[in-house]
Formats: sequence, structure tokens, C-alpha cells
Amino acid sequence: MSDFIRQTICDGVAFSSIRDDRFKVGRLSATLLVPLKPKSAAANALLSCVLTRSCKRYPDFTALGQKLDSLYGASLYPSVRQLGDYQAITIAAAGINDAYAYDGMSVSSEIADLLCSILFEPNVQGGLFSSEDMEQERRQLLESIDAEYNDKRLYAIKQCVETMCQGEAYAIGRCGSREDVQALKNEDIYAAWKALLDQAQVELTMIGQSDPEKAFRGFEKYFGGAPRKNVLASPVPHTPGEIRRAGKTEELSQSKLVMGFRSACFQNDEDCLANSLMSAVLGGTPTSKLFLNVREKESLCYYCVSRVDNNKGIMLIDSGVETENIEKTEESIFRQLHLLQQGEVTDAELEEARLAIKNSLLSALDSPAAMQGYYIGGLLKTHQLSPSEAAQTVDRISKERVIELANCVQPDTIFALRGEK
Amino acid sequence: MDYQKIENQRIGEHYFRMEHPSGLTILVYPKKGFQSVYANMGTKFGSIYSEFLFDGKKVKVPDGTAHYLEHKLFESEDGDAFSKYAKTGASANAFTSFDMTGYLFSCTDKFRESLEILLDLIQTPYFTKETVAKEQGIIGQEIKMYDDNPDWRVMMNLFGGLYQNHPIRLDIAGSVETIAEITPEILYECYNSYYNLHNMVLTVVGGVDPAEVLSIVDANIKPSKAVETSLLLPEEPYQVGKHYVEQIMPIAMPQFELGFKEHCGDQYATDRELACSSVLMQAFVGESSQLYRRLLDEKLINSSFGYEYLEGLGYRSMLFSGESADPQAAAEMIHDAIRQLHKNGLSEESFENARKVVFGKKIAGLDSKQAIAMELINGEFTGREIYASLDALAELTLQDVNERLESQLDADNSCLSVVKGEEG
Repeated sequence: MSDFIRQTICDGVAFSSIRDDRFKVGRLSATLLVPLKPKSAAANALLSCVLTRSCKRYPDFTALGQKLDSLYGASLYPSVRQLGDYQAITIAAAGINDAYAYDGMSVSSEIADLLCSILFEPNVQGGLFSSEDMEQERRQLLESIDAEYNDKRLYAIKQCVETMCQGEAYAIGRCGSREDVQALKNEDIYAAWKALLDQAQVELTMIGQSDPEKAFRGFEKYFGGAPRKNVLASPVPHTPGEIRRAGKTEELSQSKLVMGFRSACFQNDEDCLANSLMSAVLGGTPTSKLFLNVREKESLCYYCVSRVDNNKGIMLIDSGVETENIEKTEESIFRQLHLLQQGEVTDAELEEARLAIKNSLLSALDSPAAMQGYYIGGLLKTHQLSPSEAAQTVDRISKERVIELANCVQPDTIFALRGEK
Repeated sequence: MDYQKIENQRIGEHYFRMEHPSGLTILVYPKKGFQSVYANMGTKFGSIYSEFLFDGKKVKVPDGTAHYLEHKLFESEDGDAFSKYAKTGASANAFTSFDMTGYLFSCTDKFRESLEILLDLIQTPYFTKETVAKEQGIIGQEIKMYDDNPDWRVMMNLFGGLYQNHPIRLDIAGSVETIAEITPEILYECYNSYYNLHNMVLTVVGGVDPAEVLSIVDANIKPSKAVETSLLLPEEPYQVGKHYVEQIMPIAMPQFELGFKEHCGDQYATDRELACSSVLMQAFVGESSQLYRRLLDEKLINSSFGYEYLEGLGYRSMLFSGESADPQAAAEMIHDAIRQLHKNGLSEESFENARKVVFGKKIAGLDSKQAIAMELINGEFTGREIYASLDALAELTLQDVNERLESQLDADNSCLSVVKGEEG
């Protein structure tokens, strides 16, 4: 495996590559990072689906699909991710190495071409995307927003976050609201495409066996020209007041409890890792305080998990419980958090959480998809460590630092989805 | 000891298969340059093993027993396995499916210690009245979580409609009522039957060499005497039990799963049969197919749409699933396309394209340690083999697929399962 090589194409556009001959599939991705705003969030989300549906060269969904089939089932897919108050739109392409193609086709060079076509030469006529493509993708995006309600765990988490961050960009969500998607016009999508290419921070990645040169040249040709004006602001820390409570009752077998906290917020890797370690000690592993007490000792639940979003300074704890146990579970969770804040953490607890985080960081090195996700997830950081460097950093975090960060955790909003049968 | 090296020229990889004197089958698949190691130890005992013969004696267990046993095996007299793994940093888990139970870990350091923990947890059952009772609350919540999960409900309701007697109808975790019947004695009986090393396979994939695995197994395993076990399955007619099943849940987008039940004898499907089915489904309803396009154009499916070939002892079905504003119309369109397909067969072009896609996905799967480990274990339990499945694809002809199609996708032998909201 080669080192992680990061080259700048121009201000705000970087190309990172890892040459690695261990993998059978090569992955290429383009991520466009912009601040979350209600209307543009919806437009960007819809745009990412429209872009991967067709392009000038393959101006039809089925034609593009057949092209991908002929490349041994190469994939081309959009994803939209929320990073704090930012939206990251990624278009990724993946395909098997040329050596495995039984008809001698150069899959790697074809997918690099295809990704550039998708991004830079979309199926646009007279300044508009095809209405048919847009309506098809709008319907599907609306259905996927509706379907969020089908998964009660995610739904409850989303409700908690929306209540907690009302008025903050964070509450917009990664795809904007149903109403914003509904209201989009064809010109909005075209404007979103222009704005993304001109103003977003662009991060291009390539991981795999092939020479990254060709993909690099393709992107350079487009981005190398005009000066760009992208700016990313730092996150603003938020201090909660009284605990807010929200809830809903549904015909469900199990109730969902989601507790939203404000936590410290950082842009450097070392502090972010310390915050993650704090959360792992509390509820991130099968030997964490929440797992051992709320689940194992009190048999209240099957899962009770905490996680921090370092890009925003938010910690969420969620669990699925009997309706009559909601209050008891909440008390039990608070008790474990208070113990941690008071410094009740053993060396063994800390070491175990440390090992778990290191294991997950180093495991990413064996999966191109995980590595890609790791680097995209860290885009807001001022300087990003490699997974191996991050693992070494985790070793240096002190118990005092973990306790200090636990004391930055303040309850903000508690949401309960009450089941009734 | 029987020690084989199995190689594949096409992809330039190999793995080792060993029959350990203890009775355990060991498969080691080295991945050069990998930081991590993934291990999965499995037994051929899942939720469909609700009735079996153990040394000539008939045993019937409450629904959810295999899954309960999986939870409880994590606990020994000297503490639970999670806390032991926590000392090595390995990420550990276990799962119960219809036809197997697997115990796994993934680590980037202290492989020896982690494998010792795995071997120890498998060999030291510790079930008491108290420890068994303690799990009722936890598994009860796991069951309720699945009760509210429309993906799970739509699938289990479908199996209940497709199959009249086969235990694939049973929920893997059982119900709050059935798990209340589980006792330490029942768990020991299942353990003694199916956790015998002769019924188990250890698979290790990643940055590891077979000699190291072997030395750890040698030092940590107690040989076991082979026992006779066999799964008892009820007679299952060819016909589906129901053509339509529906459940109302508080959800916004209706979900459907449409299944076509097939003939199956008492054997697992072969590599070649599976290759035929995969290529057929990809050609029939993959993203570039005419049917997929029509379903999209008519607004009957979205990107959640997927398909799967369900297969095991006594059950084989093709499944199509997804969210749909109008599940009945989606099912009808699939039915119409099936009638056309039986009339015309697959075309050479769609066959070739589909074969390439399935082949490419198989190659891509070899980047995943988990996928390799699952395929190796499954292969061992079903008489299939990971490289043979690649060769079967490479050698497949259009005629093979069209011939097999004659006994597949019987439009008169299907069931549609729908889960929708009150007003949907």
C-alpha cells in the first residue's frame, strides 16, 4: 500500500490517492462540500440522484445501466452525508481491476471517464436537466424521505435532533425537508449543479491498484481553470438551557428513548478522538458503562448506545425499551453519565475503549470503502491524521482528558416515542 | 491430518482446508498485506432446527432456542466473552440465521488471545436457571424491536405465506411466550448435539498464516467424539399456503415482498444452480433490465428495490422486495413479465451482460473478509465451494439458464406480502 498522497488541483479542490494492490476493486469518488441551507440542501440531494441517472454520452437510465453492466457490474452511485452544519455530496464509482476482466476491457479507465462525464457533461439541454429524469428522481427522493418513518429507531433519533437543533442549520437534515424537495423547479437543479462546481470545496479520492494519473488529469482539466470562492466557517458551540422534552405515541411493541446532549466541539483530530474515546467509555462498546449496566445488569434493553458527532458537538444516546421502563432507563443512563463525570472510570474501562477505537481505525485500512468514508468524514478537520496516526494518538489520551470532556456533556433534549398496543 | 491447499488461477488466491483430529474443520484464507484478521466459528444449527434426532432420540425445542443459545454461550462461569475480548481490542459478535449460528471477531492485534477466547467460549457452556432467566428481558426487547421493523415483518409474513409446514416460517428469535419455555436443560441438549466439533467449522480470513491458526487450535481444543444428529423436516407441499398476506403497521411507505416458491428435494442447491438463479434474476430485473425500467416509469418501485434467492434444506424461492406506493400493481407487472419470460426465454445479450455483472460482484466480494468467511462456511455446510462458484459462472451458458428457468418463477405459485399503514 502506498501512502496517502494529497495533491491540490487549485484552491479548494484536492485529489487524494492511495495506490494499493491488495484490492480487487478500485474506487473513485468526488465529494462536494457546502454549508447546509434549506433550499440548496434539497436541490443538491436531488441533483446527486439526477446526475447519476444519465449523462450526455448515455442520455438514458437504461443505456447508462447497460454501460455499467458491460463494465462487470461497475457501480456509480450518489450519497449525501451530513457533516455538522455542512452537506457532503459524494458521487462514487467502483469497478473490478482490469486483470479480472475476461474480455480484456480496461474497466478502471472507463470508470474514470464515466465519473467525469457524469459530473461535467450531464444530460442538460437549453440550461435544463431532463424533466423526466428529474420527476422520477424527485418521486424516489420523496418516497425515501417518507420511508424514514418506517424505521422507528432512526425516526426517533431524527425527531430528537430536529427538536434539539431547531433554528440551526444542523436540523435541516442531509436532504432538506419534504416540502423543499417538493417545491424544487428544474432551474433550481441546474443552478445547484453550477453552484456546486463553482463554490463547493471539492475532495476527490482514488483508492486501488490503478494509476491515479488518468483520473487526476480528467479532474484537473475541469477544475484547473477559473478561481474559486468556497469558504467554510467554523462551527459555533451551543450552550443548552433547561432540558427540553418532546414525544409522540404510536401503536408499537417497543418504545424508543433518545437523549440529546451538547458536547465539546473540535476541528483537530486529537481532541475529536478524545471526545470519541469518552463516548466509547460511556456507551460505545459491549463493555461500556451503558451496555454493562442498562442492558446486562438491569436487563432493560437490547441496545443502549452513545455516539458523538464531533463536527457539531452533539452526543446522542438511544435505546429501545418497554413503555413503562422509559423513565427508569433515562435515570439509569443519567446515573452512568454522572459517574463518568465524577471520575469513576477504571483503567481497564479506559484501556478497553481505547483498544476498541484503535481496532476500528486500523480495520478501515483493509477496506477501500471504509477508507474513503474515513477521509470524507474528516473533511471539516483542520488537519486530518491517517488511521494509523489516529490510532497512535488514541494511546496518548489521558483519563483526566476523558473526564474533562465528559463534563462538557450537557443534556439538551429528551425525546420518547411511546409504544402502545 | 488432511491438509489441502485450494487455489484459483483466475484470481491468483488460495486458501487452506484442514480436518483437525479434534473433529473441527478449519479453513484459513490468507489475505496478503491485510492488517486485520476476521474469524467466524459456525455450527450448522439455526432456527429451522426445531426438531431433530440426537443419537436416535427425537428432540423438539421451543421457537427461538438456537438464538437464545447463541446469547447464552457468550457467558461462562468466569465472566462473559465480551469482557474477555475487550482486553484484546477485538470487535466481537454472533448471529443466528435460519440454518446456522456463527461466532465471530475481527482484530488488528492480539490474534492469538482473541482466537483463544473464541475457542474457549464455544467449549465452555454455562447455563443456570438464573443466567437463562436474566436473558429474557434482553431478548424480549430484541424481539419487540423486530416486531416493529417492517423489513423484518414483510419477510417473515411472506415465509409464513409461502411455506405451509417448513420451520422457515418461525421467527428466528421466537416470541416472548416461546422463549419463556427455554430451560438450561434444553440449551445443554442442543449444545451437546450441534456444538460438537464434528458439526463445526472455523474460518479465519486476513493477515494470518495457517500454521499459526493450527498451533492455537492444537493448544486450545479438546477433541470430541462424533455424535449423530439429523434435522427433521415436516412434509412441505409444492403449493404455497397463501397467495397474499398483509399486515397493518404505523408506517408511511408500504413495503412488499413477492416470493416464488420452487421445487426442492432434500439437497442444497449446487454452485451451478445458484449461478443460474443469480444470472436469471439479474437479467430479469437488474437495474438495466426492461422490467426494472417499466416498474420505475410506472412509479411502482424506487431505489430500495432488490431481489434475492432464498435457499436451504427444504426451501427454495426467488424473492423481490421494496417500497411501493402500489404493491399489488408492482406484483402484477412482475407476474406479466414472468409470463413473457417463460414464453421467450432470456436473450443472448441480456444473459451475457447479466453474467458479467454477477461475475464482477463475486470478484468484488473477495475484498471483504466477512463475505469470504461466510461463503467458506456456507460452502462447508452445503457442499459448495467459493472458487467453484466463480468457475460455474464463467462456464455458464444461456441454455443452462433457460433450461433451469422452466422449473423456476412459477407465476401460479407465488405469495405477495404487504406491510402498510392504516390509510395506505
